[in-house]
Amino acid sequence: MRADWHVLGIVAMIEKINETRKSFDEDLSKVENVTTLEDLRIKFLGRKGLVSQLFESLKDVSKEDKPKVGQALNQLKIHTQSKFDELKEKLEKDQMSSDEFVDLTLPGRKRIIGSKHILTQTLDEIKDIFRGLGFSIYEGPELESDYYNFEALNFAPDHPARDMQDTFFVTDKFLLRTHTSPVQIRLMEKKKPPLRAIMPGKVFRNEAISAKSYCLFHQVEGLYVDTDVTFAELKGTLVAFVKQFFGQDIKYRFRASFFPFTEPSAEMDIWWEPKGKQGRWMEILGCGMVDPNVLINVGIDPEKYTGYAFGMGIERTAMRKYGIDDIRILFDNDKRFLTQF
Amino acid sequence: MKISINWLNDYVDLKNISVDEIVDKLTYAGLEVEEVDDQAKKFENIVIGYVKEVKKHPNADKLSLCKVNDGKDDFSVVCGAPNVSAGQKVAFAKVGAVIPNGGMKLEKAKIRGEVSFGMICSERELGLGDNHEGIRVLDPSLKEGLSFAEAMEMNDTVLEIAITPNRADALSHIGIARELSALFDLQLKYPDINLKESGKKSEELASVEIRNPNNCPRYVGKVVSNVGIKESPDWLKKRLKSVGLRPINNVVDVTNFVLHEVGQPLHAFDLDNLGGRKIIVRDAGKDTKFITLDSKERKLQSNDLMICDTNKPVAIAGVMGGENSEVTSSTKNLLIESAYFNSSSIRRTSKQLGILTDASYRFERGTDPEITKWAARRAAQLIQATAGGIIAKGEIDAYPKRINKKKASLRYSRVEKILGYKINNSTVKKILAKLGFEIKSVVKEGITVMLPSYRHDIEREIDLIEEVARIYGYNKIPEVGKITVTLEEKVDHSAFNDRIREFLNSLSFYEIITNSLLSEDIAKRFGNAINLLNPQSSEMSHLRTSLIPGLLTTISNNLKVNEKDLQLFELGKVFEKISDSNINDFKDFTESEQLLIALTGNRIKNEWFEIDSPFNVYDLTGFVESFLTKILPDISVNLKSVDESQSKFDNSFRLYCENQIIGLGGKLKNELCTLFDLDQDVYMVHVDLSVLKGISISKKIFNELLKFPKVYRDVAFVLDKNITSAQVMNTIKEACTNLLHNIKLFDIFQSESLGKDKKSLAFQLEFCNSSRTLTEEEVEKDFRNAIKSVEKIYNAQLRGS
Repeated sequence: MRADWHVLGIVAMIEKINETRKSFDEDLSKVENVTTLEDLRIKFLGRKGLVSQLFESLKDVSKEDKPKVGQALNQLKIHTQSKFDELKEKLEKDQMSSDEFVDLTLPGRKRIIGSKHILTQTLDEIKDIFRGLGFSIYEGPELESDYYNFEALNFAPDHPARDMQDTFFVTDKFLLRTHTSPVQIRLMEKKKPPLRAIMPGKVFRNEAISAKSYCLFHQVEGLYVDTDVTFAELKGTLVAFVKQFFGQDIKYRFRASFFPFTEPSAEMDIWWEPKGKQGRWMEILGCGMVDPNVLINVGIDPEKYTGYAFGMGIERTAMRKYGIDDIRILFDNDKRFLTQF
Repeated sequence: MKISINWLNDYVDLKNISVDEIVDKLTYAGLEVEEVDDQAKKFENIVIGYVKEVKKHPNADKLSLCKVNDGKDDFSVVCGAPNVSAGQKVAFAKVGAVIPNGGMKLEKAKIRGEVSFGMICSERELGLGDNHEGIRVLDPSLKEGLSFAEAMEMNDTVLEIAITPNRADALSHIGIARELSALFDLQLKYPDINLKESGKKSEELASVEIRNPNNCPRYVGKVVSNVGIKESPDWLKKRLKSVGLRPINNVVDVTNFVLHEVGQPLHAFDLDNLGGRKIIVRDAGKDTKFITLDSKERKLQSNDLMICDTNKPVAIAGVMGGENSEVTSSTKNLLIESAYFNSSSIRRTSKQLGILTDASYRFERGTDPEITKWAARRAAQLIQATAGGIIAKGEIDAYPKRINKKKASLRYSRVEKILGYKINNSTVKKILAKLGFEIKSVVKEGITVMLPSYRHDIEREIDLIEEVARIYGYNKIPEVGKITVTLEEKVDHSAFNDRIREFLNSLSFYEIITNSLLSEDIAKRFGNAINLLNPQSSEMSHLRTSLIPGLLTTISNNLKVNEKDLQLFELGKVFEKISDSNINDFKDFTESEQLLIALTGNRIKNEWFEIDSPFNVYDLTGFVESFLTKILPDISVNLKSVDESQSKFDNSFRLYCENQIIGLGGKLKNELCTLFDLDQDVYMVHVDLSVLKGISISKKIFNELLKFPKVYRDVAFVLDKNITSAQVMNTIKEACTNLLHNIKLFDIFQSESLGKDKKSLAFQLEFCNSSRTLTEEEVEKDFRNAIKSVEKIYNAQLRGS
């Protein structure tokens, strides 16, 4: 193979380098195992291999051509060495793992796909159902004013209705919102009917932490205001929701209730029969027709427009759906819990 | 609130209605029955037994062998009581009964060789008292075989009803009876009051002066003299016990009875202890201290409403009476108070003092101003019946601020508009009438009604519509089967965050949700924290200023259960005060949305195909790059190392988009790891989502796929260790024409042979042109310029030359 380099000019030299590269690539593609790889190494990268030979002949190249040829040679060296290393590593691995017998029952090289928190997943399901019914999705602040959280929602300043929700106060006028209902007010202040939206978010209650209650939880609020919104439509919409969420054969009922910001007000129960336990009615959401005072507070004429609103707790819904009986586990974020969903 | 069905029967006839029906109807109508306590149930299989004969047990001295008849059969029963004897009527618990006290289930048993079919019960075993000396011997006139519960009139069912705060009117047996009369179309009957009054008038024996008519619009007083304080009769004690009250004496018990009968709280004063025999209703005034019935000293605010005599306070109005005027065993003469107080005033006082009583609970919800006189008379009637005495003629009725009944109108069309369903006009009228709304006028379009004085929750048409709907039954209103979807713009505030979650999930991260409340120490470490006025505990006294503590707590908890390899993220709000002054406005604080991404432990652990590999800062920056290219497509984000002593991180960096900082990250400093008890490295980056959301992303446009070949050139430089790859790449970019399409760093090498503080960086340069094949020369020219620049600027050498 050794040719009479020094009589060749730069063109021939570059050509030779390119040829060597080509022939290396070709040989490389034929290498099948560690033995043939070693042959390749000796041929090209050995002390007396083709690449070394080319470097040796650099001394015969004229001074003005040297930088150019030198560079080309460097590239060749980097290219061959790195390709060689890469293949070597691969072959060694392959040999280790599957010398002659391919054991496909070995655990595959898994890639982990993470997951959303179970509360987010539950909310996603809820959002999907309501999106399908033409609802938008709005969010609002967690640190709220008394006005949005209570006053605008028709809670009189000194009324015992305020005791229904144990409140964390920041000042006497600011608080951690106790429900997502203030987002209703914010939305109605900004946009005129027709308005159809759900409003998910975090809410806070000053309740002792136990298996049944935590200092914060998540709610989804719903609101629909237009010229002909009725209680019958509220019922129809919520029934469609619970059937889709819990199953078409779910048993449900509506019973009268009280919320300052809706009238008539209702609560919806579903029949819950955990495995091996006696069935019972469980409250799943609160709802009602938007109270005319609330509409007046945001400048909507209650004679012309009517509306309905509803709100449900996501924790409760998720716990029911997945059979979780201690709310605290939702906020422990134990990996053994997170990876289950 | 506890409601006894037997008691309800005094006002409405429920004999033919099952408890289940009552429970259902009340619950549907908004008076949710939470618990049903069927008292007869615990006496199941316990009957009146007749002891036919008693013999000594053949094998035991202290036991007897009895023959007990249950009205049909004779049973052989072993009994250990000394007082058992033939001819007695006893409580006979048959096989299958569960002993009320202790819950033991009776089975056929052999006792010292003799079979016993049941048990004769003691008072204690029946749960009726403490006596366990012997069996309870019953009235001999009781017929054997009768169920014990029925014979002893312990067949009551007590409902626990959750009354919503608007329904003050339902906080009594008559209130619930009124509701049932509407729900089942029954007649409601108030008890008759025929008083035997004699002697002086109440007004002559005592007087009332109201100095704050706003907070006390009406005060009725009635005098009963010469009473005998003693234990209440059984019927009264039974009524009170059925709703969970402890009987005290006949007078106090009567006042409690009337409260639970009609909802009007009463107070009985010992008239002889009232200075000047006068009641003055006034504000407490400055620095008032007062000892209440429970012997506790209370400090009052100057505007708390007090009931006083001519020289001292005698009760906190509507909340609790005082020790100095309570009814004692020696009390002879009574003044019965039946007042109507302003609900806000009572609520304020009750909250301020932290006292919640049956009385304050009702007053703060609003009682019936018109029932006051009736209630005083009813109490007088019952006091006379149980304590004797002389009822003075008439009542003192101080009513300085008359509360007039109001009217409201209802349009039938509006009922249909709200409900989406037509309820018969006659049904509407009937429901309202049954609930006590007096119909004033009827026109074609609707009706006008007088609002009963006990319904403070009803003022408007919508309130009447709710009454009609809930009594009619929500479940009878049909659900619509189709809805109209309006076509206004649809908005989704949550879409951006949802995309973030999905990208991070695909990069192996799990979402967590942590507590937004932190301790002061932790919260202040990360920002100007906002504190709660009424925290639950010092652990949760401040709003979080950062997502970091929640995440570190999560990691710490996971390490404890040996979960050491974690990739987690949280999306959430953090809160900070703008300055140290109080929060009076939304401008005084920030509520910003943050994303925190963290890794700790190993990327690869215990795998057969690869050696263990712990996460390092390059894993973090890699995830950040992958994530940002997805979330901010075609937008260049620069990562700059920063060296700040303030930083929470070693190897800390900032992410810049144009000149805005969008995030900070690095390896968590040791001091923070120690604080949270972490013994392994944690890498994290937090991103300000409000900034991220503000970056406008241009519309994605398709890039033509290349039709011409790419040309590659590899080059390796040896240069000083502290020169960054980004610097070199920038230099290369600047030196080349736009033929340079991409640069990739593919090798880093450090060794003694390169020289101390030197490293080698190897790059692959990718050249191309979208419209033609490149010539060797033009590529070579760019390539050479690039090398020259790097050599010159960084004093670099080509490696291998």
